[in-house]
Amino acid sequence: MQSILKYIVLFILTLSIFSCEEVIEVDLDEAPPRLVIEASIIWLKDTPGTYQEIIISRTTPFYAEETEPVVDATIIIYSEDNQIFEFQHRTNGRYINENFQPVLGQQYSMELKYNDEIYTASETFQPVVGIDYIEQSNSGGFAGDEIELKAYYTDPAATKDYYLFKFLDDGEFMLEFYEDEFTNGNQIFGYYSAEDIELGDTISIEMEGISESYYEYLFILRSQVGTNQGGPFETMPATVKGNIINQTNPDNYPFGYFRLSEADAVNYKVE
Amino acid sequence: MRQLSLFLFILCIPFQIFAQETFSLNGTVSDINSNETLIGVNLIFPEAQTGVTTNDYGFYSIKLPQGTYKIVLSYIGYQNIERTIDLNSDTQLNFQLTESSENLDEVVITNNIEKLNIKKPEMSVNRLSIGTIKKLPVVFGEVDVVRSLLLLPGVSNAGEGSSGFNVRGGAVDQNLILLDEATIYNSSHLFGLFSVFNPDAIKDLKLYKGGIPAEYGGRVSSVLDIYQRDGNSKEFKMQGGIGVISSRLLAEGPIVKDKGSFLIGGRSSYAHLFLKLTDNENSAYFYDLNTKLSYKIDDSNKLLLSGYFGRDVFNISQNFENTYGNAVLNLRWNHVFSDNIFTNLSAIYSDYYYGLSLNFVGFNWDSGIRNLNLKYDFNHYISENFKLKYGVHNTYYKFNPGEIEPIDDQSGINYFKLDDKYAFENAFYISAEHKFSDKFSAEYGLRLSNFFRLGQNEFNTYENDRPVDYDADRGIYSEANILETNNISKGEVLKSFTNFEPRLALAYSFDDDQSIKASYNRMSQYLHLISNTSSPTPLDVWTPSGPYVKPQLLDQYAIGYFRNLKDGAYSLEVESFYKDIQNRIDYIDGANLIANNAIERVILSGESRAYGLEMLFRKNEGRLNGWVAYTLSRSEQRTPGRTELEPGINNGEWYNSNYDKTHDLTITASFDLNKQWDLNANFIFQTGLATTYPNAQYEYEGITIPVYGDRNGDRLPNYHRMDLSATYYPKKNNGREFRSSWNFGIYNVYNRQNAYSISFRENSDTNRNEAVRLTLFGIIPSVTYNFKF
Repeated sequence: MQSILKYIVLFILTLSIFSCEEVIEVDLDEAPPRLVIEASIIWLKDTPGTYQEIIISRTTPFYAEETEPVVDATIIIYSEDNQIFEFQHRTNGRYINENFQPVLGQQYSMELKYNDEIYTASETFQPVVGIDYIEQSNSGGFAGDEIELKAYYTDPAATKDYYLFKFLDDGEFMLEFYEDEFTNGNQIFGYYSAEDIELGDTISIEMEGISESYYEYLFILRSQVGTNQGGPFETMPATVKGNIINQTNPDNYPFGYFRLSEADAVNYKVE
Repeated sequence: MRQLSLFLFILCIPFQIFAQETFSLNGTVSDINSNETLIGVNLIFPEAQTGVTTNDYGFYSIKLPQGTYKIVLSYIGYQNIERTIDLNSDTQLNFQLTESSENLDEVVITNNIEKLNIKKPEMSVNRLSIGTIKKLPVVFGEVDVVRSLLLLPGVSNAGEGSSGFNVRGGAVDQNLILLDEATIYNSSHLFGLFSVFNPDAIKDLKLYKGGIPAEYGGRVSSVLDIYQRDGNSKEFKMQGGIGVISSRLLAEGPIVKDKGSFLIGGRSSYAHLFLKLTDNENSAYFYDLNTKLSYKIDDSNKLLLSGYFGRDVFNISQNFENTYGNAVLNLRWNHVFSDNIFTNLSAIYSDYYYGLSLNFVGFNWDSGIRNLNLKYDFNHYISENFKLKYGVHNTYYKFNPGEIEPIDDQSGINYFKLDDKYAFENAFYISAEHKFSDKFSAEYGLRLSNFFRLGQNEFNTYENDRPVDYDADRGIYSEANILETNNISKGEVLKSFTNFEPRLALAYSFDDDQSIKASYNRMSQYLHLISNTSSPTPLDVWTPSGPYVKPQLLDQYAIGYFRNLKDGAYSLEVESFYKDIQNRIDYIDGANLIANNAIERVILSGESRAYGLEMLFRKNEGRLNGWVAYTLSRSEQRTPGRTELEPGINNGEWYNSNYDKTHDLTITASFDLNKQWDLNANFIFQTGLATTYPNAQYEYEGITIPVYGDRNGDRLPNYHRMDLSATYYPKKNNGREFRSSWNFGIYNVYNRQNAYSISFRENSDTNRNEAVRLTLFGIIPSVTYNFKF
C-alpha cells in the first residue's frame, strides 16, 4: 500500500504541465566492490526440485555495463537432517547442484567461502498455497486504460503469510510482494498492470512463499529501486542488508539473500 | 526551582519602583473606512519619550503620570496622525487611521515596508504586510503567503513543489502555524504548490524564528501567527481575483453598523487545467473557505467567531479518490478589565483529515487529528515600562492513525482500525516586557508545559521497554517482539512529561538607530509528524509523545546587530543563531510508516542541530524599495546507537538535513513607476539541496539495484532563478467605487532548468544506467485580474 500512496504523490507532481525530464551527466563516486549472492532455492509445485542454482557476482561502478561474475567460490548447503549439497561453478558465476532434496518447513544453512572469508546464512523452506485462477480486465491500471491481471489465491487464515509474485511479459519483468495483515484468510490477488501488455502476449506468472524477514528485505530493496528516486517525497536511501553474514570480516558484508521458496507458476495468454 | 524563584523576584521589582500616581490611557486603533482593528500600530508620546504598540486585537493601554501629551500614531501603509490630550483621569481613547493609498494625489508612498524596531527586545521576527506580499512576483501569479516567507533570511523549503517551509534549519512539522489562534496542521495545497491561506482574508502575519515569547509553545522551530480580517462594519464590500490556477471572491459588511461585521471568502482552483491529463475523468483541485463574524458589544467586550475549511481533491478515473484538508472553528471573547488588563478567551476546534479510496484494490482509508483547545490570555499593562503577559492553554488531542474499510462485499480487504491515541497538553506562561532604561530593555518569561499521554486500546509492552531490536549479526534494526498487549482506559495516564521553558530576549541600544540584541529560548514539542520522505506528504500522520517516544526539546541562542541608516530609509539586520534539538525521531531502514499500529517499533531517537548567519538589508522608502537577504547556514541530524554495540542510523554520523542549503540569497525589489504601474523583481540563488547518489550497482533477481553512498552526502546543482512582475492600475479607477488591477508575471525569466530531483534509472533501450534531471518549473508567464468594490 505504501508504494501505491507514494506513487500517487509523484504521479500528481510529475504530471504538471510545466515539468520536464532530461538525461544529464553526473559524476559519481565508486565504492569498493562487495560480494553479491543470489541464493534463491525455488521448488516449483509438481516438479522434483532437484536442480538448483546460486549466482555470485561483485558490485560494479554505477555506470558500468558488464556484470562481474565470481567464479572461484565454494558453496555448500546443509539441511536440518545433515544432508550436504555442494554447488559447482558452471559458467558466468552460476553454481549448480542437481541432487537437491527440498523439504517444506525444514531449516537449511549455507556456507560460502571466497577470498579466505567465510559467509553463512540459514533459512526455512517456505510453502505457498498456489494460484486459483487469473482474471483479466481491459480497463485497469491507474488511469483505467491498461490491461490488468489479477492472480487470485486463497490465503490460509491460521498462519501469517508472505508472498512474492513475479510477472514476466516479453522481457518486461515485475516483482510484487504481499503480506496478509489486511487480507488474512481471504481470497485475494497478486496484481499486474502495465502500459505495454498487448493482446496475444503470454505472461508468465510465478507465485512464491517467502519468510517475514525476506519480505522485509524486499521491502527495503524495492524502496531503493523505483524509477522515481529523488525529490521531496522520496524516502531516504538505505543499505539493503540480507541474511548472509561475513563471519571473517563482518564489515565486508555481502548483498543478496539466502532463501528457499515453494512456487506455483502459470503461463497466461492475454486475449 | 532556583531559576523560578529568581524569576519571581525580578517580577516584583517594578511594582516597587513605579508606585507613583499615574493614569491609564487605553483604547483600540482601527481603519477609518472599515473599522478593521489594526495590529502593531505605534503610538509614540514624544515628550514622555515612550510609546506603546497595539496588540493582536488592536488594543493598546499605557500608564502615564498626569499631564498633557502629544501622541503620534504611525502604521505601515497608513497616514500618520497626531493628537494632543490632557491626561487627568483614566481615559479611553480610540483612534481611526486612513490608508495612505486613499490619497491619490500622493504619488510616492513612503513607509511601505515594515520598519525595524531598534529598541524593542523583539528579534528574529519577520512581519510581512499583506500589501507587500501581494506585490511580489510568484509562480502562476498566485499570491502566496508561504512562498513570500521563503524570500526572508532563515526561511527555506525542500525545493520547488515541496510542502511547508523550514525555519533556521528546523523541520516542517516544527513550525507552529496559527490562523486566528487555531493550529493548522498542514499548510499546503496541491502538495505544496500553494499554501492554505487566502491572501484576501488575511490582515497581518508575523513569523518568529527565534527569541520566541512564552505565550507560544508546542513546536520547537518557529511560530507563524496569522490573523484573519474581521470584516468591514461600515459598508458592504467585495473583492476578488481571477488567476491562472485559482479564483477568489470575498464579501464583507456590517451586520449591525459599526458594531458587528461578517466576512466570507472563498477560493478554488480550476479542475483539469493543472494536470497534463486529457482524460476528462481525472481532476485535481482545491478550495477553501474563510469566514468571520465579529461583534463589538461595548468598548470593553468583543466577540469573534472565525472559521476555515479547506480541501484538496484528486480523482483519477474513479479508481482513486483522495481528499484532505484542515477545518478550524474558533470563538473568542475580548474583554478589558480595569482599563489596563486586556484578556482574550478562545475556544478552538481544529481538525486535519486525510481520506483515500482505492477502487481497484477495494478499500477506503482515512486518518487525521482533532483537537479542542481552550486558551485564556492576559495582557497586563502595569506601567509605561513594564507589561506582563500571562495565560493558560489547554489542548485535548485525538489522533486517528488510520482506518481501513472494504469498499463492498467483493473486496478482499478486511476492516482494520489502527488504535486511536489521546493526549492532553496544558501550559501556563508568564512573560514580561521590561524597559529598564532608555537604552536597555528585556523580555523574559517562563512557560511551564505538561503533556499527558492517555490510555489507548492495544498498548504494547516490550522487553526492556525497547520496541526496536538490533540484530548484531546482520547489522540491522528490526521491530521487536511484543511481550504483552493491553487495553488501557482513556482515563488513565500512560506517561506524563513536564518541561520548564525559559525565554529571554535582551536589547541594548547605543542610540536611536543602533542596537544589539540577544535571545535564548527553550521549547518543547510533544507531537511528531511521522514522515520519512524528504518533505512531508499529506498522508503523513501525527503521533503524540508517550512511553516510547520522548518530546522534542529545543535550545536556541541568537545574537544580532540592528541598524537604521539615513533616518530609517535603510535598515540592516545581522543575526547569528545556534540551535539544538533533542529527541528528533528517525526511522529504521525499511520502516513501514503507513498503517503501522505500533509506530514505536520503527522509530529511533536522535538529535538535530542548526547554526547560521542571517543578513537582511532593506530599503524602506522611496519609489524603489526592497531587500537583500542572505543566509549562511547548516542543518544536520544524527541518530547514534543506543549502546556502543549499535551503529545507529547512518553509522551514527551527522548528516545534512533534506532542506539544508549552505548559501541562500534573495534580492527583492519593487519600483513605483507611476500611478498606473508597479514593477517588481526577485532573484534567488541557493546551494543545491542535499541528496544521495549511488556509488555502485548489482543485479539481484533480475533487477538492477543501486547502492547508495553516505546519506545526503551529495548535492543537487545550485538553484537560481529570476522572476518579474508588473501590476497595472487602470486610470479609470480614480474616483470610482469599483477598482481593478492587473498583475502580469513571469516566473523563472531566463528559463533555468533547476533540478527538482536527479534520479537514476536503467534506460530500457540501451540497458545502461543514466541520471535523469526532473525540472518542475521552467519559464512560466501568468496574468491575474483583481477587483474591489
